[in-house]
Amino acid sequence: MIRFINAELCIGCGTCVENCPLDTLRMNDEGKAYIAYGDDCHSCYLCELACPVGAIFVHPFKKPFPSPFSHLKEGGEDNA
Amino acid sequence: MLNTPERITTDILVIGGGSSGLWTAKGAKEADPNADVLIVDKSFRDWGGLMHLSGGDLEVCRGGDSAEDWVKDFTYYWDGLCQQDVMETIWQQSHEIFEEYQRLGCTYLKDDEGSYRSVPQRSLDHVRLFPVAVKGTGGPNARAAMIREMERLGVRRLGRIEITELIKKNDRIVGAVGFNYVTGQPLIFQAKAVVIAAGIASWKPSYNQNTACGEGPCLAFRAGAVLRNFEFLHIWNVPRDFEWEGQTVLMPLGAKFVNREGEVFMNRYSPILGPNTDPHYITRGMALETLAGRGPITLDLSAIEEKDHPIVRPKAGRHLLHYDKLIDEGIDFFRDKFEWITQVQLSNGAVETGENGETAVKGLYCAGRCRSLDPGVYMGGFALMTTAITGRMSGRAAAEFIAGAEAVDLDTKAAASMLEATFAPLGKEGVTPAEVLTDLQKIITPYDVSILKTAGALHRAQQQLQQLREEKLSHLAAADPHYLLKLEEVKAIADVTDFYLTAALFREDSRAGHFRADFPHRYDDWLCWVNLYNEGGRAVPKKKFVPTADYKFPVERFYCDNFTF
Repeated sequence: MIRFINAELCIGCGTCVENCPLDTLRMNDEGKAYIAYGDDCHSCYLCELACPVGAIFVHPFKKPFPSPFSHLKEGGEDNA
Repeated sequence: MLNTPERITTDILVIGGGSSGLWTAKGAKEADPNADVLIVDKSFRDWGGLMHLSGGDLEVCRGGDSAEDWVKDFTYYWDGLCQQDVMETIWQQSHEIFEEYQRLGCTYLKDDEGSYRSVPQRSLDHVRLFPVAVKGTGGPNARAAMIREMERLGVRRLGRIEITELIKKNDRIVGAVGFNYVTGQPLIFQAKAVVIAAGIASWKPSYNQNTACGEGPCLAFRAGAVLRNFEFLHIWNVPRDFEWEGQTVLMPLGAKFVNREGEVFMNRYSPILGPNTDPHYITRGMALETLAGRGPITLDLSAIEEKDHPIVRPKAGRHLLHYDKLIDEGIDFFRDKFEWITQVQLSNGAVETGENGETAVKGLYCAGRCRSLDPGVYMGGFALMTTAITGRMSGRAAAEFIAGAEAVDLDTKAAASMLEATFAPLGKEGVTPAEVLTDLQKIITPYDVSILKTAGALHRAQQQLQQLREEKLSHLAAADPHYLLKLEEVKAIADVTDFYLTAALFREDSRAGHFRADFPHRYDDWLCWVNLYNEGGRAVPKKKFVPTADYKFPVERFYCDNFTF
């Protein structure tokens, strides 16, 4: 998941915004890129690879997904 | 109040700009250079779809193999659910696509003698994939090559557009409506033919597959097309904490999943095939091991030989960046043990088509993963090759169709009222799409719904879905156009969940990617596809029997028979 965009390093070129498949990033009123919809990131790194000044950091871990066995832990229900 | 819709006219509208959409456009323009072809993509213009993120490896029928050899392999691997004539045509064309990608600048791995390296798939006699020359460059290179082709051929492209409905007139598709989710601009497209190349559905698993959400099959279904193979899920074994691209080459080269005791548990479930098989069978083993208290599951890579490192170790691009970042987190993918889990990735259901991608609806074609070919068991390089071939087929067929078709003016008023309905939740307060997505993930994920399925669990999931529809889906709201996109996505995911549960409950049989714990064997009267028909908006399942009398090769071997489940 995307962790941060360093506003001091960001030169406002908009390349990361253009290269995000999920529209996670937008430009703010100061002309800098920011994380507008962070929940939508799927850690593809296209923004980080495209950034010409190394201002972006994407963490390699993904967003947790429900476990196939969590319903057993929660309610002890088992229809198998 | 809705902004005035912008009206855009084209000859062939292609929904989706991934591998299949790009090859559709290439096929159409090469067949008819004067045709105006417009690709609209949900993501940024020219991103190239999931091809961009893929490894780029290709399944190619070449060398001493014939397409007939491959069809026999697929008939066996898919437990009889193989359209033999279509698959023979596809494999006959695969070498041409391989050559074309190389002509466009893509490169594939060769040994010291200059022969192509290849990796056999799933212990089959013939099927194999051909890895790219430099691991990590394949997807981006294929995407760049195809975008250059779009420029050369004069294909128009637009990005950041969600298509929400197809427009019909006199039982023919004449366009579509949608909106730009960055600007909020509503759009009306008039077209002589429409090709849906928008992939299948994901439940947003964060496996770099969070883009396609099933809008393509849902659009086609609402227009009257028939769906197929929805009982099959793409359920994968994945590292618990991160994604890893390229697993399909690991198992044939010696990787083995092991349980807590270090036992290669697939030897128990398939003494014949052992650990080198499809993830859909391995996930069943993983679920059984976990339920028996023998988890966690890890992956043993120690048997992979050094000569095979170029095939498995990332050397460039986002794959190498990812590997290096994991190292920074203290995880060496090739050295360390870490937990692997089963995870629902995608629906395998899509649209039933004729040989060239034509659907039951005049003027509407489907290509790529939006066109149903396979029953849920997978092989590396399959999607990238078949999306190219079926894309090219649909593009050529659409070009031929428009040559003999009159332009039909669409009803602008009707299109505008479709858009009014789409925009109704915008700016309102209500349930967020993110909340509904989490609920849908919880409904589909339980092991007895997605892996070792039972009627009881599938009924339970149907009730949960119905409750979700009543309590939340009907109260969805979008704070801005971006969230209006998310809203459309979760609506499609909910419909796909419904299609899945309906088809999985209907098939009282186990074969290929579908396993019913309460019907654990294959039965002769289920040598059929489960088709879903739109009857008054409801998806009604019916059997469509495999035409064995017309098959070139008999259905006499079944891959699922190799397992003890």
